[in-house]
Amino acid sequence: MATTGSPNDPRTPVTRPTLSREAAIGAIRRVRRQPRVLVPLRRLPAWRVRMVAVLGVLGPGLVSGFADNDAGGITTYSLAGARFGYSLLWVILASQVVLFFTQEVGARLGLATGKGLMGLIRERWGVRWAAFAAAMMLLANLGSIVAEFAGIGSALSLFGIPPQISAAVAAVVVVSLIALGSYSRIQYLFVAIGLSVSIAYVISANLAHPAWDVAFQNLIVPQLQSSPAYWLMVVGTVGTTITPWGQAFIQSYVADKGLRSEDLPASRLDVFAGALLTNVIAAFILIAVAATLWTSGQRDIATAADAAKALTPIAGPAASGLFAVGLLGASFLGLGVVPLTSAYTACEAFGWETGVNWNWREAPAFYGLLAFFIGFAALFVMIPGLPLIQVMFSAQVLNAVLLPFILVFVMLLAADRKMLGPLASGRILLTLGWLATGLLVLLSLILAFTSIAGP
Amino acid sequence: MLYLSEAIGRPVRDRNFDQIGKVSDLIVAIEDQYPPVTGLVVRTDRRSIFLPWSAVRSLDGTGAQLATARIDIDKFQQRPNEILLRADLMDKQIVDIDGRKVVRVNDLRLDEIDGRLRLVAVDVGAAGLVRRLGLGRGFRVLARSLHVSVPERYIDWEDVDPVESSIASIKLRVPHQGLAELHPADLAAILDRLAPRDRAGVLASLDDEAVADAMEEMEPDTQVEVLEDLAPERAADILEEMSPDDAADLVADLDQDTRDDILRYMEPSEAQEVQELLAYPEDTAGGIMTTAYIAVGEHVTAGGAIDLLREWEPDAETIYYVYVTDDDDRLVGVLSLRDLIVAPPSTVVADVMIREPVAVGAFADEDEVAEVVAHYNLLAVPVVDGEGRLVGIVTIDDAIDTVIPAAWKKRLPRVFGRR
Repeated sequence: MATTGSPNDPRTPVTRPTLSREAAIGAIRRVRRQPRVLVPLRRLPAWRVRMVAVLGVLGPGLVSGFADNDAGGITTYSLAGARFGYSLLWVILASQVVLFFTQEVGARLGLATGKGLMGLIRERWGVRWAAFAAAMMLLANLGSIVAEFAGIGSALSLFGIPPQISAAVAAVVVVSLIALGSYSRIQYLFVAIGLSVSIAYVISANLAHPAWDVAFQNLIVPQLQSSPAYWLMVVGTVGTTITPWGQAFIQSYVADKGLRSEDLPASRLDVFAGALLTNVIAAFILIAVAATLWTSGQRDIATAADAAKALTPIAGPAASGLFAVGLLGASFLGLGVVPLTSAYTACEAFGWETGVNWNWREAPAFYGLLAFFIGFAALFVMIPGLPLIQVMFSAQVLNAVLLPFILVFVMLLAADRKMLGPLASGRILLTLGWLATGLLVLLSLILAFTSIAGP
Repeated sequence: MLYLSEAIGRPVRDRNFDQIGKVSDLIVAIEDQYPPVTGLVVRTDRRSIFLPWSAVRSLDGTGAQLATARIDIDKFQQRPNEILLRADLMDKQIVDIDGRKVVRVNDLRLDEIDGRLRLVAVDVGAAGLVRRLGLGRGFRVLARSLHVSVPERYIDWEDVDPVESSIASIKLRVPHQGLAELHPADLAAILDRLAPRDRAGVLASLDDEAVADAMEEMEPDTQVEVLEDLAPERAADILEEMSPDDAADLVADLDQDTRDDILRYMEPSEAQEVQELLAYPEDTAGGIMTTAYIAVGEHVTAGGAIDLLREWEPDAETIYYVYVTDDDDRLVGVLSLRDLIVAPPSTVVADVMIREPVAVGAFADEDEVAEVVAHYNLLAVPVVDGEGRLVGIVTIDDAIDTVIPAAWKKRLPRVFGRR
């Protein structure tokens, strides 16, 4: 008897492969009204596979939390530290708590229904409300995407590259990364950059000898001021931490990963870790900036070069280079998530989410939206003389103002026992959720009031 | 012709043209090819009331007109074959059987057929979306001036399978006849895309064989999800219908408790087969082989072998090769189907078989198996254990599977898997 050891056996039976009986029957099984050729279906929309692959290494909560510290995040925390010293630290702690509760609800919706946020809104309230919610979310997301491009523009301006060129190059890079599906490979680089710059901020904060006692006190005890600028900064800080896209993202991601009710404890842990991580980093950025810029009397940040000074204690003259790399990494990390989430959100609201093959021809809406978001943001940043830092901050304020619209839907869905069964919010979680939503609405109202009434 | 969105919210008037409420929903009975409307749900100031169709004289885009002077204020009692168009179908997901995909309902189209208003089609096109958003007129003007058409797309109700199990009021067991007719690969793709709860509803209505066929086409992750959602008895029945190698691959992905649970409910012989296959590492010949092969003794005649083939064929993975074993189950030869057919029926197989056939060891690397299959142009290669006993075969599809999709099969580890 011959095994693989004697490959030259001439007596091997040779038969041509034939169509199997099952395949032949299968091919003719469905000829009901008009015979036609069956085209094989692909399993998952390609981009969904990509999206899961992109972020598969981290849990949904961690990813969402980490992507929160994007270009807009770094800039906003820097601005908060420079303008108001340590006094906004309490906002970061409060945001963390609220972030945990909103993300937890999002995860629960995904676990219980296996569907995305817009899909649920449409099923519950019909297509008009879904269109409204999608419009709110897309407006906020558009702001976020503009902020990411502004981040790239600011980062590269430190090397003397004008934003017109950097935006064009960044748009091409992002489109190719998404089209080639290679965000998955390069994602680690951005995460690594983000982490190392975060660590740089932690060290820098320590080296700058901050007033730890003041910082700690301000973390726990809110220091309220009545100036419109102060409340604008509060709103921006909240808006960069808790975002409409983060809400849609966590739910879709949990659903796409096929997680289910049993995974609730793990998901809660993941969401908690994500909220903690993002806010610890945020706090250290703020402290580092407060201990350097604010302490030395520079009370505003006009350009990225100013913000980079917060890294001088650790990096010395290389601070601006380090800051530029960090901002760049954070921007690309955000661009790997926000545009895809936006396009998916819109498709879901209008019922295009379950197309067959996600190529250009079969999902024109999806790719059209993606192209629109990236193209619009890149072109917007090219406007000459645009104050990029201010643009990034304003996008966070926009996010915060639009967030309550989304959260109202989320909280209403979370209470729906018919839809969520045992995963529906209990009385305590529901109260906390509405409390958080109410606070956000209140914040927007305070912002509106203070900016009208003046100081 | 009437769209559901045109009727919802319109006034309901009695014989004296006094408004008594607004149309809130339409009820149809799923019995015919096109379900007839059997009643209206009317929202009055205080509550929802049910009007049987016999009490309604007319229903169109301007509202409903009652035929009777008096109305019985019945509380709506849903009969088992009735569904609510707005609550159960509007904006929900359905399966388009003809197009083999999952789509969302934009609107529902009703038409008068055989003297009754019936549900005839589901609107899934852009035109329906625009109408629902209340932009119909503006869009028509815009489209006309730009000389483009707003695409209309309808799915005949005959080709619709409502899969939503979140529909609380659907008490009827949707038979999912259309889905059962699909090719297993298409069914697998659709199941992959449904939310777990909807999937469970569909799976409950399909027979074990259909589920097993679809399972073999699914992504490993989805297979595990599906199986874990089923009761162990049902899961065991489905595994029995799958080919042993696919079943073993799937069982290997389950956690220990679920695996034991399911194996306990399987027929002992099938469970043992699966367990034997599980003993081999995943990337070896033993790991990818199936035990559904055909082997005959040396002294069987060609005619006898063909009779055996006829008897066993339904279960065997491939019938193009018949293997010949001695009394100790050792592989001694192979016959192609062609050899068997051209040989005189009374010949003993030992006289016509090819001796010393190519085989691979049970622990041979899967790449090596693929090489052997490719090199010798085999449709299947026998797998033998250390003593040369035939333990299984690797068919060509499983052999090439291990080489070709290496690039796209690479999956990242799950962070929150159940393992």
